Amino acid sequence: MQLTYTTRMSIAISVENLTKRYHQFTALNGISFQVPSGQIMGFLGPNGAGKTTTLRILTGMLDATSGKVTIDGISVAAKPLEARKRIGYLPENVALYPELRVIEYLNYRAAIKGVSKTERKARIQSTLERCQLADVQRKLIGQLSKGYRQRVALADCLLGNPSVLILDEPTVGLDPNQIRQTRDLIKELGKTTTILLSTHILPEVEMLCDEVTIIHQGRIIATDSPADLRSRLKNKSTLSIEISGDADLIQSTLAQLPGITGIKAQSQEEGFTTFVVETSGADVRQAIFQTSVHNQWVLRELASAKRASLEDVFVSLTTHEALTPPEQPLSTGAIA
Amino acid sequence: MKNIGPLFSREIRSLIYSPLAYACGTLFMLLQGVVFSILLTAMNDPRFSATASVSQVFFGGTLFYWMTVLILIPLLTMRTFSEEKRTGSIEFLLTAPVTEAEVVISKFLGAWAFYSFLWLVSISLFALLQLRVGLDWGGILCGYIGTCLLGGALIAIGIFASNLTRNQVIAALFSFVMILILFSISFFDVFVGDVATSKFLQQLSLIEHLTNFARGFIDTRPVVFYCSLTFIFLFLTERMLTEPRWRS
Repeated sequence: MQLTYTTRMSIAISVENLTKRYHQFTALNGISFQVPSGQIMGFLGPNGAGKTTTLRILTGMLDATSGKVTIDGISVAAKPLEARKRIGYLPENVALYPELRVIEYLNYRAAIKGVSKTERKARIQSTLERCQLADVQRKLIGQLSKGYRQRVALADCLLGNPSVLILDEPTVGLDPNQIRQTRDLIKELGKTTTILLSTHILPEVEMLCDEVTIIHQGRIIATDSPADLRSRLKNKSTLSIEISGDADLIQSTLAQLPGITGIKAQSQEEGFTTFVVETSGADVRQAIFQTSVHNQWVLRELASAKRASLEDVFVSLTTHEALTPPEQPLSTGAIA
Repeated sequence: MKNIGPLFSREIRSLIYSPLAYACGTLFMLLQGVVFSILLTAMNDPRFSATASVSQVFFGGTLFYWMTVLILIPLLTMRTFSEEKRTGSIEFLLTAPVTEAEVVISKFLGAWAFYSFLWLVSISLFALLQLRVGLDWGGILCGYIGTCLLGGALIAIGIFASNLTRNQVIAALFSFVMILILFSISFFDVFVGDVATSKFLQQLSLIEHLTNFARGFIDTRPVVFYCSLTFIFLFLTERMLTEPRWRS
């Protein structure tokens, strides 16, 4: 799928062998990834993984120790102004001038982003409407709530008609309604713009992104679509059962059933023991029931397998209790 | 350089919307009032010679003039970069398609314009005097030119200091110390045995420069000196800003 992207579409963001060192500390260790035009790429990782550092290098705020970063084929290091014109960047920390009114601020930003005087008014008005800011345009930025400030910053990103949007945790600190509105807006924008969305909120990625890049400790550990990432864990599923009887005997008997790869006793209550059963993917529910009947155990609950979520993938990739064997190389994408 | 317009306008807006501008303005008016009353007292003294011009007393002739310059400029410039760095708005500024030179020049012009505007207000004091006595307007004009040139150099130093730290108070202290060193370096001429060095130090006397300006005498040496200082400190600030580790 990724190969067809490379042949059919142009590459909007390209990061090659990017390394960033601070004295002894290596924040980024030779990462590479590409975002084809028009795609929403989720950039995922635990705190301190190097997400913000990467985005800052992409926007020219930081320089790289080595490696190459291009936006629409333009090198950020060699032609910073050209590259910055194509980027709308929403930093993690939204710091606007609190003493200015929304409209004043956007006017100023439109001017420095090279929006011509004749176009400026119309562009600002359409952006205000798009970001649902028309009501507060005369308010001082310092008096706005965090959600509104975030939207002003997002409006600012859109002013220059960028071909690439780089959003660093755009929904952090917003209330549920604002999160939904922001996500809708991002989805809407994704139809026309390439978006690199950094986040550690997994449902957001599943909802919005075409592709996910997972970064951990300065390295890229996976690049794939959310569905493909999930399917890696698909052939693993878990059951939760509650059975009364001798816990040790139950455990050893069930463990011998074909298809069960692991069983753990969790808690006991009124003579019932809760077990978590890991299976290789085969349906073992009937077997468990029949075994219980045969041994005259009372089975009072058999909860069905939960679907592997992106969260499980994330946890398994970024912690050492790897569910997938670490030797098995994760597809880092044909384009990487 | 086409972005200087909007950047400059943003600087001025933020300045006049902030209480700092009014605090500086008040301090300035207060000190000017003191200078003016000293000037009136001096003029009422029968020994006040006709040759000692009003502008010489007003520009650099009193301690209060120097207090104005030495205190006002660190206050005016302390927030230029350190506030942007503390809040993080510098990230929005430097990732926009503007050059570092444009940013530095607009911040300089913003502070300089406000400083010059404050001085312009003191013309009303001379206008008052003009009603009673004839004034040497040439000397006054040159006094303003000298004050603005000196102000430019000191503002450049203040902006440089503000770029060094996220803390406004430290920025103000640092620029105050640098300006104080520049102001007092000529006082050390008496301690230097070497005649050439001593002469060199005398050439750096800001008081001497201002007295000359106020006499209506524009010497190219201080003009070049102040312009060079302005250029050097703005250039250093711009260089540091392009260096990523000083950017935030």
